[in-house]
Amino acid sequence: MSTAAAKEVKSCPIPTKVLTLKDWSQLPDCYSQTPGGTLFSTTPGGTRIIYDRKFLLDCRNSPIARTPPCCLPQIPGVTVPATHPMGKLQDLKEEAEEEEKDIADDNQFEMDI
Amino acid sequence: MKRTRKSQTVTMTTVTGPTTTTTITDGRQCVQVQVNTLSSITTPVCLPPVSLSVCRQCVQVQTVCPGAGEHPLQYNYTFWYSRRTPSRPASSQSYEQNIRQIGTVASVEQFWRFYSHLVRPGDLSGHSDFHLFKEGIKPMWEDESNRSGGKWIIRLRKGLASRFWENIILAMLGEQFMVGEEICGAVVSIRFQEDILSIWNRTSNDQMTTSRIRDTLRRVLNLPTNTIMEYKTHNDSLRDNSSFRNTKISL
Repeated sequence: MSTAAAKEVKSCPIPTKVLTLKDWSQLPDCYSQTPGGTLFSTTPGGTRIIYDRKFLLDCRNSPIARTPPCCLPQIPGVTVPATHPMGKLQDLKEEAEEEEKDIADDNQFEMDI
Repeated sequence: MKRTRKSQTVTMTTVTGPTTTTTITDGRQCVQVQVNTLSSITTPVCLPPVSLSVCRQCVQVQTVCPGAGEHPLQYNYTFWYSRRTPSRPASSQSYEQNIRQIGTVASVEQFWRFYSHLVRPGDLSGHSDFHLFKEGIKPMWEDESNRSGGKWIIRLRKGLASRFWENIILAMLGEQFMVGEEICGAVVSIRFQEDILSIWNRTSNDQMTTSRIRDTLRRVLNLPTNTIMEYKTHNDSLRDNSSFRNTKISL
């Protein structure tokens, strides 16, 4: 404890800014950034189930989240590894066809001269 | 939670705002009934044999429920996958035949179970899409929930799709968009030279909703301030039979 003469410390209120908006376009860019990451802590009009990204990622590590789902359809390249050895060649062929198609599409754009 | 001795049926009723949710499990099948109890009509729900008498308000029967100890989602979501070979012409019937359901999830843990067993979008080959839509809404312009709707789209250079897809669906599942019932679903589209992220909402002319979705996207995806975001109504897509051309640019 300081033995110097006690100075009176004025307590300052936490600086706040009050905005009155007449329109949604006036909402500042940072309005949605709060410590929890969401605008409302309790949602108006009732309870809504809200999870932030961190919480969802943490749930990934629980054992219940790791077991494979029952009845997952077998789609090669999506749910099971693609086994077709010609798969890559087929993809390149499709991409070449798509590129031709895209070039053709560009000709359809109208240009204002 | 009540438990009856005879049939081991568990009933749980929760009231969240204007909706009453009743979960009935009889060991074989789980049925969850959500009733909008905007009026004060009470809904008697009989234990087995399961017979439900419900009021004429909006009733959603959900086929999947969160398991014990799992974290429920605000809505159930269905994963879809579609792929198109460019040589085949795009038409409504061929589109509907090309999309297939992968599974429906009702909890965070169920979501991870599916998501962890799917290839990441960046590793998909060809002209492919993943869709994650609320249960009951097909990822098609023609679906009833999409008729008056539209979507925001963000074009990504190659290499970003997997990370951005994960962030957009986590935001959607976690109810970060704060637009009531407006969100229908999200899509990641893998294409030849770029990838495209889309988020679909019910009402395209609701500017407050579309602005809020755009702002939330900027925040949850950490988009640089000069990122171009495009909006396209599904009616326009139907008219020019294209998902990503002729969009309205928003800066």
